[in-house]
Amino acid sequence: MEPTKIIFRILRFKPGRIDPPRHQEFELAVGPHTTVLDSLEQLRLEQDSTLMYRHSCHHSSCGTCACMINGVPRPACVTGVLALGTTAVTLEPLTGFRTIGDLVVDMRDFYADLSEEWSGLRFSEDRNGKRLPQTHPGFVRFENCIECGCCVAACPAVGDSDDFMGPAALAAIHNEMLKSPAKKTAILALADGERGQRLCRRALNCSRVCPTAVYPAQHIADLRQMVSAAEGDEQ
Amino acid sequence: MLEHIVIVGGGGTGGALAHDLTLRGFRVTLFEKGELLSGTTGRHHGLLHSGARYAVNDPTAAVECIEENQILRKIAPEALEQNDGLFVALDDEDMAFRPLFLEGCRACGIPAQEMTPTAALALEPALHPGLKSAVRVPDATMDAWRLPMHFFATARANAADIQPFTEVVGFQTRNGGITAVETVDYRTGSRRSYRCDMVVNAAGPWAGKLAALAGLSLPLQPGPGVMVAVEGRVTNMVINRLHPAGEGDIIIPQRRLSLLGTTLWLAQDPDVLSPPADQRRRIIDLCGRMVPAVRAAPARSVWWAVRPLMASGGAKDPQAISRDFGCIDHSERDHLEGLISVIGGKATTLRAMAETAADLICKKTGRSLPCRTRESKLLPYRRFYK
Repeated sequence: MEPTKIIFRILRFKPGRIDPPRHQEFELAVGPHTTVLDSLEQLRLEQDSTLMYRHSCHHSSCGTCACMINGVPRPACVTGVLALGTTAVTLEPLTGFRTIGDLVVDMRDFYADLSEEWSGLRFSEDRNGKRLPQTHPGFVRFENCIECGCCVAACPAVGDSDDFMGPAALAAIHNEMLKSPAKKTAILALADGERGQRLCRRALNCSRVCPTAVYPAQHIADLRQMVSAAEGDEQ
Repeated sequence: MLEHIVIVGGGGTGGALAHDLTLRGFRVTLFEKGELLSGTTGRHHGLLHSGARYAVNDPTAAVECIEENQILRKIAPEALEQNDGLFVALDDEDMAFRPLFLEGCRACGIPAQEMTPTAALALEPALHPGLKSAVRVPDATMDAWRLPMHFFATARANAADIQPFTEVVGFQTRNGGITAVETVDYRTGSRRSYRCDMVVNAAGPWAGKLAALAGLSLPLQPGPGVMVAVEGRVTNMVINRLHPAGEGDIIIPQRRLSLLGTTLWLAQDPDVLSPPADQRRRIIDLCGRMVPAVRAAPARSVWWAVRPLMASGGAKDPQAISRDFGCIDHSERDHLEGLISVIGGKATTLRAMAETAADLICKKTGRSLPCRTRESKLLPYRRFYK
């Protein structure tokens, strides 16, 4: 198959130098399996060594390479260029994040409401399977969320208010509650706090863009039910 | 404050070294030309080696692996899926290798439990039902981004200056020794120099390019390999083929994916833009012999990483190159003071590589400061962004 020529329109930003940000166009021939991240690598190595973007694992596990691809937040490493169906591909940093340079965003705000005490591990799906020997403690695995920030970038409520902790933190809160029932009261108070679920507008964008099937909107709905149930108990 | 050490390279080795040196009290600045862990470590398939893979042909690396395996379980448990691994024998050739393998594991101190096919299938029903035998070993899965980020988070909390998106582009020397590094900061485009007492080249497969800035060459061979991630966890344990190290002989479940590895070829340039054709199909075919379900699983990603193999060129069989690591003191080798290169190794041994380099720095600076990284629990990786 012949390589296809694609125009990449990349929002460039270097504080004090390319400031305010502006789009720059690059042309690149891509193949049927070329991803957006492969393209960024090739552009950096062959056309502009000053191009900045985050990346690490290249298989949607680390969560570093998410950016706005034709206006939608997605991990660049698992986004095929030709699958986008456009001859020009626009790349911009994640909406609502502070930009450090080019496509690189500052993740500190994202982690502000993600406690380092919450576990990133859980029992694997096979924990309750009948086949494991009774003496086996059960297999463990990492949580689905890769902390890429796509859900936060897509959330209209985060965009309108710095106060909202956002869908990733609420999903993490719900997961932590399921794993550590003893923490339920304290952690539910966090979910129901001023930065919590009350600011969600049920747009469901978070679940639509999540690349790893976390479905944050479902977690938020579950939290909301628990909050109402707890209020019911009090009355 | 003790000597100022500049580390070049923000991979697993650089992160672990920044942690080790700050614990010993040195002043540390680390430069990485891109995002942290964007070179080799972050892209690797995430196997925390038990060492069993190397027990027969590379016992030095095997012993390092089992020691580091036990240490990392203690200092960064949250970054590991601790489900053990199986080596599965599928044919008579594998069965012939089995006694050598068991003897190698015993000699290297790697716990290896023989299992019947029935017992192995009870743990992992997706294994090929015709398997002849299995051996259980303490392999595990690491989060290739978050485990080394524990080291960066702890190093930064201990005052290491970590500077991503900043490339070292030159050295300043005086009287046969390096006195400063010259950098370009890609955030601002600004160039500046940093005075330092010693530089550690921890640039992985790019270490040869860095050494060339000082007019030196290294016994280093970039060894790229392709990996395939498929949707779903076909197993929970790491699955290895019970045969000498080869291609397409490992399946590493991780998060919601199964990672299939790997191939190996030798390259001159560590910046590989595309892998040879058809490697994806070969990996899926070979791994499908161990766990047939991987053939039907949708592919999530095909990517590659470049190993920094320690070899002095002309190696014929890349699988025969040791996965051991080494520290080169360029004052002894090249009469250039103030530069050390760390080469070879693998993600599992990142802490040990750092310990060896830091011990050498102590020796060269005349400091008697013991390593403390074996016992010190690492801070959570999220601390890096707090």
